[in-house]
Amino acid sequence: MDRKGSAELLSCDTNCSKHASCDSLASDSKSSSLNSKLGQESVGSDKGSPSKSYCSSSSTSTENVVSTLESKIKGKANVPESGPPSRPDDPPLLPEEKVQGVAREVTYLCPYSGPARGVLSVTNYRLHFRSMDRDTPYVVDVPLGVVSRIEKVGGASSRGENSYGIEVFCKDMRNLRFAHKQENHSRRNVFEKLQQYAFPLSHKLPLFAFEYSETWPENGWTVHEPIAELKRMGVPNDMWKISKINENYEICDSYPTVLAVPAQATDDDLRAVAAFRSRGRIPVLSWIHPESQATITRCSQPLVGVSGKRSREDERYIQLIMDANAQSHKMFIMDARPSANAIANKAKGGGYESEDAYQNAELVFLDIHNIHVMRESLRKLKELCFPNIEESRWLSGVESTYWLKHIKCILAGAVRIVDKVENHKTSVLVHCSDGWDRTAQLTALAMLMLDPYYRTIKGFEVLIEKEWLSFGHKFQQRIGHGDDHHSDADRSPVFLQFIDCVYQITTQFPNAFEFNDHFLITILDHMYSCRFGTFLCNSDRERAVEGVKQKTVSLWSFINSNLDVYRNPLYWAPATCQQVLIPIASVRHIILWKGHYCRWNPSMRPQDPVYQRTRELLVLKEQLEKQAEECRREQQSRAARNVATPPRLASPIHS
Amino acid sequence: MERDPVLKRYLLFVFLLQSDKSQNRTNERTDNHIAAFIFSLNTSGEDSITELNPRLLPGEVVIAEAQNVLLFAPVSEQKQGKSGSLSVTNFKLTFVTAEERPREESGQQQNLLLGEYDVCLSNVDVVYQLVGDKKRRLVPGSNVSGKVNGLHILCKNMRVLSFSFKFSPVGHGKILTNALLHHAFPRRHQLLFAYDYREQYYNCQREVCTFWELDDWKQELSRTGCQGWRLSAVNQSFQLSTSLPQWLVVPQAILDWQLGDAARHFRGSRPPVWCWGSSQGAALVRMADIHPTITERVKENVMLENVRKSHPQRRQPLLLDLSKDFPNPRDVQFSYTKLRELCAPESLHQFWVQDSRFFSLLESSRWLHIVSLCLCKAIEAADAIQRDVTVVLQEGDGRDMCCIVASLVQVLLDPHWRSLRGFQTLIQKEWVVLGHPFCTRLAHVFTTESEQSPEFLVFLDCMWQLLQQFPAAFEFTETYLTTLWDSAHISVFETFLFDCEHDRTKAAGDSNNHLVLRSVWDWGEQFQEQDIALFTNPLYKACSHSQSKQLVPQGGLSSLSIWRQCYFRWLPLLEIPGGGQAQIDLQHRQLSAEVAALQRSEPAPEHTVTQVGSFFPFGHGVTRPGVLLGSSLTLNTSFLPAEALLDSQSLLNAPD
Repeated sequence: MDRKGSAELLSCDTNCSKHASCDSLASDSKSSSLNSKLGQESVGSDKGSPSKSYCSSSSTSTENVVSTLESKIKGKANVPESGPPSRPDDPPLLPEEKVQGVAREVTYLCPYSGPARGVLSVTNYRLHFRSMDRDTPYVVDVPLGVVSRIEKVGGASSRGENSYGIEVFCKDMRNLRFAHKQENHSRRNVFEKLQQYAFPLSHKLPLFAFEYSETWPENGWTVHEPIAELKRMGVPNDMWKISKINENYEICDSYPTVLAVPAQATDDDLRAVAAFRSRGRIPVLSWIHPESQATITRCSQPLVGVSGKRSREDERYIQLIMDANAQSHKMFIMDARPSANAIANKAKGGGYESEDAYQNAELVFLDIHNIHVMRESLRKLKELCFPNIEESRWLSGVESTYWLKHIKCILAGAVRIVDKVENHKTSVLVHCSDGWDRTAQLTALAMLMLDPYYRTIKGFEVLIEKEWLSFGHKFQQRIGHGDDHHSDADRSPVFLQFIDCVYQITTQFPNAFEFNDHFLITILDHMYSCRFGTFLCNSDRERAVEGVKQKTVSLWSFINSNLDVYRNPLYWAPATCQQVLIPIASVRHIILWKGHYCRWNPSMRPQDPVYQRTRELLVLKEQLEKQAEECRREQQSRAARNVATPPRLASPIHS
Repeated sequence: MERDPVLKRYLLFVFLLQSDKSQNRTNERTDNHIAAFIFSLNTSGEDSITELNPRLLPGEVVIAEAQNVLLFAPVSEQKQGKSGSLSVTNFKLTFVTAEERPREESGQQQNLLLGEYDVCLSNVDVVYQLVGDKKRRLVPGSNVSGKVNGLHILCKNMRVLSFSFKFSPVGHGKILTNALLHHAFPRRHQLLFAYDYREQYYNCQREVCTFWELDDWKQELSRTGCQGWRLSAVNQSFQLSTSLPQWLVVPQAILDWQLGDAARHFRGSRPPVWCWGSSQGAALVRMADIHPTITERVKENVMLENVRKSHPQRRQPLLLDLSKDFPNPRDVQFSYTKLRELCAPESLHQFWVQDSRFFSLLESSRWLHIVSLCLCKAIEAADAIQRDVTVVLQEGDGRDMCCIVASLVQVLLDPHWRSLRGFQTLIQKEWVVLGHPFCTRLAHVFTTESEQSPEFLVFLDCMWQLLQQFPAAFEFTETYLTTLWDSAHISVFETFLFDCEHDRTKAAGDSNNHLVLRSVWDWGEQFQEQDIALFTNPLYKACSHSQSKQLVPQGGLSSLSIWRQCYFRWLPLLEIPGGGQAQIDLQHRQLSAEVAALQRSEPAPEHTVTQVGSFFPFGHGVTRPGVLLGSSLTLNTSFLPAEALLDSQSLLNAPD
């Protein structure tokens, strides 16, 4: 695997140098180096469809990388099973993907390069458009999971060119407009098929992930083994034990089966604490400091209510968490919410810990706003970034979305947690209201800053599996997979915000992460795509009921089978890299992630990303090392031969 | 963690100084405590008192001195500081402390002419007197009569220095302040230190072409292969224009007497002159506006006709007006002061207030807007030349925006200028010799109707943006650009000291002056090898095979970012320990060292990973994150508009 990878890199290098000019054409937002490499390969691997196509399809950068990857791997691993040899305007199909509807003479109204006429196809996985009127076909390739809303534009009375068609609103910061010819009567069928397959759950159809089957060399479902991960952190130990009390999701149906809790806590204690915490989400261990034993624990809000109820068991349990860390006689409870929201929650039976009841605990509010504020902020950001940017008001426009301020606020909260744990050796308990949105953001970010393991590709996958998936972040609700209620108030970009925060840390510490931002974008793209089972459902329990692990493919299978494209060439080996990262949570250091939010706009792409150059250097070094190695071996074998044959001392020439 | 040794090195003391009068008792105690501490410092080593004398250069003399001065750490709420002595010399404002960390340990850039806490007098921009909690701006050249408790100094390179004379002997603060107000703002050019500096100078730099000689221009003409232009001696002894060089490249078709006649119609007598051309034939030409008193534009048209004839295909040139819709020097200076406010907050409180509105404040400074305008104009001009159309840049006196845009166009089109040597030659040609009024714009000499304006910084910022977009295209680094900006404020070097060639020639020719022309390009005068090594970009050579001839950058505001190293480096709380662009640079250095070793078939050197701060080599120690955190939270709250906060939907129906 490794050897093959390096060979590819080498071939990439020569390609880069030869096709420097075409490179920039083909380059997409994040991975021009990848693209140029894949571009060259796809020429070889699928001769049928012109490789030019995706060079030109600058509008769907990441999909292109992904789909090219697929076609490449498909070409290598297994012969495509579906259907007869494809015609050039047919979409590339995944296993079990089937064309459901095709419309010809459709015009894609590209906001950047103007209208393009071609063929629009709908499958049970994607919307695919290929232009027929350009030398280099323009391709739009969107997984239907990304679609949030579909609307008809214009009616029978519409006049004027391109005024009759369909508009598709996407969850990934873009809208697509297609114009149909009225006389073709093609719109109705496309619209219906799109509705059906973009919102399968609303039409009693399965999500594509349950149909899709493809085998990968790696099995992503085994990436996170809860007990192994706890063992990695040294748990169980004297102070912490692994509890199976939630094996059948009895005390909390949104928690995983394996929980790490203070060793002294009995099952009765846990049940009593569960009764006092919203939805039974008791404080459990997220991370433990390998030296100081200071911990990060997470939970939901206490059920204090207007009357200010108390629970002796809960108070004692918090004391146990504090006592488990001998370094400090204090503990911090970080409530992610603004204090006003925490107080307001008392009216609904929730609330926060009073410092009178919890001796030695200090309560801090981190002022992170709720899912509705964040959804509104992202909506404004989309308005600003898509389709075109107003340059003169760009900076104040960015500010007025508050997006970066929210990002800063979340980062600042995580840094505070890290500061307490690392610098003050004090344990921190984190919660918000239910402990599955802001809490997950904070604990996962703090762990990423504290523990270099989570900055590797596999470690980051574990982090997502653990802090987000197993602890019940409601991906189904927050994303609305396959559901047509686009204005559902439960939807919110909480996980996107987390990934944005990770991106911010990677920009501040460019060599501390094994992965690049193509990795982050791939995770986000497939969070929406519904091709993999990873981000389906709301909790471990639901995934178990649905048999997600058995019936779907894990995103990590796909990613881990082709790690090279997700590697950050600037990464310094873990032994030499900084243990704890403390990013600066000042807006002066926070940047808008243009590579993600503005990636559909071709003018916003970096021209000559620095990591491409790093990669060139690495490749050069590798080549040279190989040469040096060969030289050395040759010398050795020559020396060995020289030993075998007697030295020719008789030689008369001595100069 | 590297924090501890750094802290040890940094030796920050916390002086809990409160100017609050209600706490007089504690104050007295603190004062006594500190006085005792300072006393112990001064007497601890036998020669510690001599140590506190400033280091002087040959020809440098001390003018005023203040003992027991506190230098506050930036944005420290005057709670952290160092004790030492502060002096004004004829060259610099210098602070000497016994707590100086060993310089070689700090990893910081070390200037051979200036110590860590020194600034050249030419760098001093605004002096404030601290009166209680308030600051009073002092008038250059004036005298302060009362007691001076503290000074707050803003430098032209955005550095901020805050001193307290609280523990100084009576009168020291006043004497020092008055000396600073007189000597930092000289009224005559001859008072600049370059005239007093007595160090021997052996000109070691032969690489950078000065464009003082006929041959320099000849070479440039033949290097570019541009036809249709000739060298003219019409400005010998500056008889035509004092702001143009003695040798001019002009349209072949025009005769010297015609040129002389036409020149009088242009502001500053600056007719169109050639500055660069392509071998195809298109040229880049600079000229001033027609003199405001002249209404008819006949002479201008005649000259443009001659420019047209210089094109092999007689193509009509493209005239780009850099006065209309372009910032004038005053606009640039105004924008710069706004930007500096953002980079030099007075207090932690102000820092966070700014932070909460940073993007709109940055926008209202219009700094990036100006950078964007220059880049976009350069892109437009480069595009025209690429299409083989001659471009004529026209602007007021043709000495400000013309310098910026003309340099940028050449950088975009001609890889020659992207090497370190080429870039310096370019500045020498477009800025120094073609008469950018450096002395006026950098305010080396004080005048009441100041025309100070950092046009040169706008150019360096544009260059920095290009470095971001094309990380392997330039031989030099951002550290080089930042250092160049700093060097513009050191009154030792002739390069940025004069308004034009005429002034330089006259000053150097005057035997009363004893002026030695010391070039800033002679970097060995300022730095040792290890610092100069950081000027070169490790990617430049390594990736030379994939460099394109023409660069087409994105000039829109949304594609630009703020130059953190240059603007934020004086704010230690913004330095990312072990992070930032500096790590990438460092890694590329190591990688290319390994590659180079392998190419010489030596074993690759072991990775000696050192981690530096994000402002490397300009870092100033590491602040503890706690300081930043504590203050951030108090201001974090309620940045949302009140409506959003009180929105009952968002508060009560929150599922989370």
